[in-house]
Order: sequence, then structure tokens, then C-alpha cells
Amino acid sequence: MTSELLRVLQTLRLKGRVLPADLAAATGIAESRCTAMTNDLITSNHAEEVRGRLKLTVDGRDRLAELLAAERETVDHEAIEELYAEFEPFNAEVKSLMTRWQLKDHETPNEHDDPDYDKGVLDGLNELDARFRGLLERMVTAVPRLAHYPARFAGALSRINAGDHSWFAKPLADSYHTVWFELHEDLIGLAGLSRAEEAAAGRAE
Amino acid sequence: MLHAGGSLTREMAGGKAWGIQRMLSLGIPVPPAFVLTTDVCHDYHETGRVLPGSVADDVRTAMLHLEERTGRTFGSTERPLLVSVRSGAAVSMPGMMDTILNLGMTPDVEAALAAETANPAYAADTRRRFVDQFENIVGTPPPDEPWAQLDLAIRAVLDSWHSKRATAYRHSRGIPDDGGTAVIVQAMVFGNLDDRSGTGVLFTRDPLHGDPEPYGEWLPRGQGEEIVSGRTDALHLGDLAVQLPSVHADLLAAARVLERTAGDVQDIEFTVQAGELWLLQTRAAKRTPRAALRCAIQLHHESIIGVAEVLDRVTVEQLRAVLRPHLDPAAVSESSPVAAGKPACPGIAAGVVVTDADEAERLADAGRPVVLARPTTDPDDVAGMAAAVAVLTELGGSTSHAAVVCREMAVPCIVGCGTDTVTALAGMVVTVDADSGTVYPGELAVRAPVASDDEDLVTLRRWLRDAMGDNETAVDVVDLMKRYQARRVAR
Repeated sequence: MTSELLRVLQTLRLKGRVLPADLAAATGIAESRCTAMTNDLITSNHAEEVRGRLKLTVDGRDRLAELLAAERETVDHEAIEELYAEFEPFNAEVKSLMTRWQLKDHETPNEHDDPDYDKGVLDGLNELDARFRGLLERMVTAVPRLAHYPARFAGALSRINAGDHSWFAKPLADSYHTVWFELHEDLIGLAGLSRAEEAAAGRAE
Repeated sequence: MLHAGGSLTREMAGGKAWGIQRMLSLGIPVPPAFVLTTDVCHDYHETGRVLPGSVADDVRTAMLHLEERTGRTFGSTERPLLVSVRSGAAVSMPGMMDTILNLGMTPDVEAALAAETANPAYAADTRRRFVDQFENIVGTPPPDEPWAQLDLAIRAVLDSWHSKRATAYRHSRGIPDDGGTAVIVQAMVFGNLDDRSGTGVLFTRDPLHGDPEPYGEWLPRGQGEEIVSGRTDALHLGDLAVQLPSVHADLLAAARVLERTAGDVQDIEFTVQAGELWLLQTRAAKRTPRAALRCAIQLHHESIIGVAEVLDRVTVEQLRAVLRPHLDPAAVSESSPVAAGKPACPGIAAGVVVTDADEAERLADAGRPVVLARPTTDPDDVAGMAAAVAVLTELGGSTSHAAVVCREMAVPCIVGCGTDTVTALAGMVVTVDADSGTVYPGELAVRAPVASDDEDLVTLRRWLRDAMGDNETAVDVVDLMKRYQARRVAR
């Protein structure tokens, strides 16, 4: 199934070097099936294993670029542009929440010693997540390949709400920020834009 | 009207107008001004963006006062009066309309000003700035009728309270939507009038190191917003002392009064028009952690604030920053920066610049310290960022992906250095000072401060111990400050 293959290749690209178990979790593909797919990718020289972690080869990146270009031919461009426009204000809110989580003001780090302050930010995240879900569903309807995102957001949020706050912004793990940023990257690609252009326009930094 | 001894509160008048009222009360020369309070903003939005009927009359009356005080007439072709229109919320926020200068300018007024000053270039320059700014902020070219300009500008300020950006900002900070903004209308003074005119900023103390001498810039023949945006041809304040000694003396005297009555270091904007000094704005100055510590102690030595006030002002984070390793000042003064941007995560590190995340990982695995420089960071850069000793980006601000990720991993990071700046350094060894946001060529010496050698820290530690009593066992100044603050909260 092309959308599953595309999902695996894109996740490998976005995460750089990833443990096989993490790849299955992030793509939402059963571990045994995911292993079979990555074995095929290694055989065809699209991926390689470096010290127990999987990464794309140059051929793999080219294959990914081809599949993404083909996917762009099939999606409704106008719908994607509208979805991306709707995503923008949410993105600004998430960035603001992330910054408030890390900094109390521009030179005071949040040391997480004030439960009321942290609760304010976490309530903000939960509230945003609830409002964002509808838009995310519509994104999945427009581009079925994105179907793994809802479960990833839900996974990060439930870990945060269970008290492990590192799942808010932890890099190199499927934290809320990581998943958000990967979704943003997918949307930029689907809309046929580049991150540099978007960053220059102040929409993606 | 804003006047000496006025009783407008900060909530009603906004921070800027409140500051003007404070200066007037101290007998400091401020161009005459009036304010539409936040109540007007409430009524305007409650009635579906209609200005209350009485406001138009009040504005006319207040403008008459400005005309009387300045001896000039709004919209007249003889000694025309120009005004500035500003927003004034109790807290400043992005997305609010900021400032329109030189309002009241029309082709006829330009001609009148040219004749009055015998300086057509100055008049044309003033009109050009006005048209640009008005179009930019209000969204339409300015009408040729000055009263219509004033009406549009006032509405633009009131409307900007509900702009998308301002609303999003308030929601993200938990600031209520019903605060509203004031509108300040003030007679213009002209720093670009003649050779005895100019504009400048003054810090009552050095905001970098905290030394107790005034520090500032002076731009002859400049107007308001230029100096704030960091013009490179600005002169030092000392040049004003040479050029206009009595103005310089008056300015320093006013600055001392403002600092003493506010009990804090002030950041003052001033304009000189034909040899006459006007203060436009005063506010508490932004400063480095070192300056915050030194200024608080100095203000006590000068009997401006008490010890308790010093201990309340200095923060744990400022003390940590002062104690963090920093670059040897001698090495810094001999070096010229190769790039600069916004500090996003503090720290100092040196390494070779690479522009590719994979290469960063490879070199780091081989034991070489690397500085990862990217136009902007993608998700697939994160592994390389984790391997780097510092991260630099060309685009983006303090909420960018690079900033969020680096703070999470405590990797020193500078963002927004500008297009084709840091990636052009590939292969070069650099020292990244992410405390100040500066990149230096080569590997500079780093100094680790020792608290017992630092006079300011020794003084602060003594005061903390005195305040805490003999039972206190903590010895480290940061620990002492934490406990002191915990006790203050508990009380």
C-alpha cells in the first residue's frame, strides 16, 4: 500500500535515525508488518541500519521525493491550501504555549516549580487539542496518509496528563511538539511550499 | 488633557499617557497631549464601532488646547500644528496599532512648513514619512482633510484592540479582552527641523554593565522612530554636550529626577527642536542581568531604594546568569563578530561550523565539537542539533522550532541571524555567545566567575544573610536568594 510505504519513508526522513519499535509506533503500523516493510527497504537499498537505528539512504530520499510528488498530483490543492490556512492560527497558539512552557518571560526559564503556572499552560494545551481535533480529522479525510497523526497527538497528551510533562516538548521522541512539527512539515510539503519560504513569511520558523 | 498633578490611573490612560502625566507633574517639558481613556474604547466596541457623540466635541476642545499651548493651528496654512496618535494599553502587546507621526500633514501644510522653515526638503521629508506610515497602519492613503485623518487614526487605534494578533496574544497570556486601549494625541516636536534639532535616547545608567553613568545616543536632525530602530550613524550622548551644552545639562537633570522618583533606571526618549528640549517617553530600562544586579546595589548606595527593595528586585535567574561562564572581555574587545542574532537558549560554546545535520552527527561522533548552522531547522535536523555544541539559524524568532528544541536540550542557540549569514561560515571555527547573541571567529577564552571575587555578589550575599538571620545555613548566593524568596512568599 503506497500510503503506508510513504508514511514509513517520510517518518524515517523526519526522524533522521529511529529505533524500529519507535518507527512502528509513530507510523501506527503493526510492528511485524513494519519490520517486513523496513527489511524490504533495506534489501532495495532505500534504508540502512546504523547502530541499531534505521535511516534513509540517498536512494531512499529520492524514492520518497518521487512518491511525494506523485501524491501531490492526486490531492485537492485548493482543499490543502484551505486546511493549511486554518492550521496557521493553531500553529501560532502552539508555539506560544511551547514558549510559555519553557520561559516565564524572555529571560526567565520556567523551572516548573509553580504548579499553578504549569497547570495554566497544560489547560491551554488540552483546550487547544480539543478545538484542533475537528480540523485534524478533515486533514486525514483529505490526505489518508496522515491517518497516524490523531493517535500520536492523543498518545503524547495522555502521557502529559498522566504527569509525565516531558512529553510536551521533548525532542527525539513523539512529544506533542515533535508530532506537531512533523505534521506542519507534511502540510508544507503537501501545499507545495518550502520551509525556508514559509519561515521568511513568518509562518514557519 | 494631560496635565501636572493629573489623577488618571494606568488602567484608564494606559502606560504611555500615565508616563506623560508623571513627567508633567515633575515639571519636565513634554509636548502637550490629551488622551481618550479606555472607557471610550469600551463604548466604541459596545455600540458596534461607533464613537460616542461627546467624543468628537471633546477631541475638538482638546485640539484647541494643543493649538493654544503651541501657538500653532491644526490644518492651517500658517504655522500648522501636526500631532502624533498612539495606542496606549495598560500592557503593550503585539498587533496593536503603534504610532502615526506627523498627522495633519497635507500638500498645503507641506508648502506652509517649507515656507516657515525655509527648508522645503525637511517639509517634503516629513510629509513622505507621514504618508508611508499612515498607509501602512490605517490601510488607506491619508485624506487631504486633517480632521478626517485624525478620525481615521483614532478609529484605527480602537479597532486594533480587536486585531487577530492582539486577541491571540491576550488569549495566550490570559489577559482579559475587556481592558481596552487608550488613544494618545500629542503635539509633534521636530528633531529634523534645523541644525539645533535632533532626537535621542538616554539610559540613566549603562544597561549593559550597570555603571552609574548615563548612556545614550544622539542623532542630529533625526526624528523619533529612527533612533529606536538602531541607526548606525547615531552619535554618543557626549556629542550633544558639545553641540548644545545647556540642553544636555537640562536632559541629565530631568533624567535624575525621573530616576529618583521612579526608584529605577529609566529609558528616556527625547527630541530637541530648535535648541529646546522635549521629553517624549520614560519607562523602566531593560538591562542585562549584570546591570540589574549592579544598578540595584548602586541605587541603594545613592539612597534611592532600601535594602529590601534590592533583594526583591534581583532574581535568581539574574544571579545564575552573572555566575555563568562568560567570554573574557579583553578577548571580546579584540575580536569582531562574524554574525549576531536573537539569543534563544543561553550558554557559550566553540566549534567548527557545519551546515548539514548528518555531517554534524558524523563529526560529533568523531569527537569534534560542531556548531550547526541552518537557514531554519527541519524536524530531520533534530539529531544533528542534539550532537552540536551550539545551534545558529538565519530565520525565525524566539518561539521557532530551533529555539524550542534547543531550550529543551539546553544547547546554546542564536536564532534569526539573517539570510546567508551563518551558513556562509561553514568550515570556520567560531565561538558562540548565546547569552548576548553574538558569534566570534576562532576560539575565545572563557572565564568562570567566582562569587567571592565579585564585589556586587559579595554585597548582595551579606545583605541576604543579614535579612535571613543567624539560623540560615545556606552559603551559596543563589541558594540564599531562593530561600529568601520562598520566605517572602510564605509570609
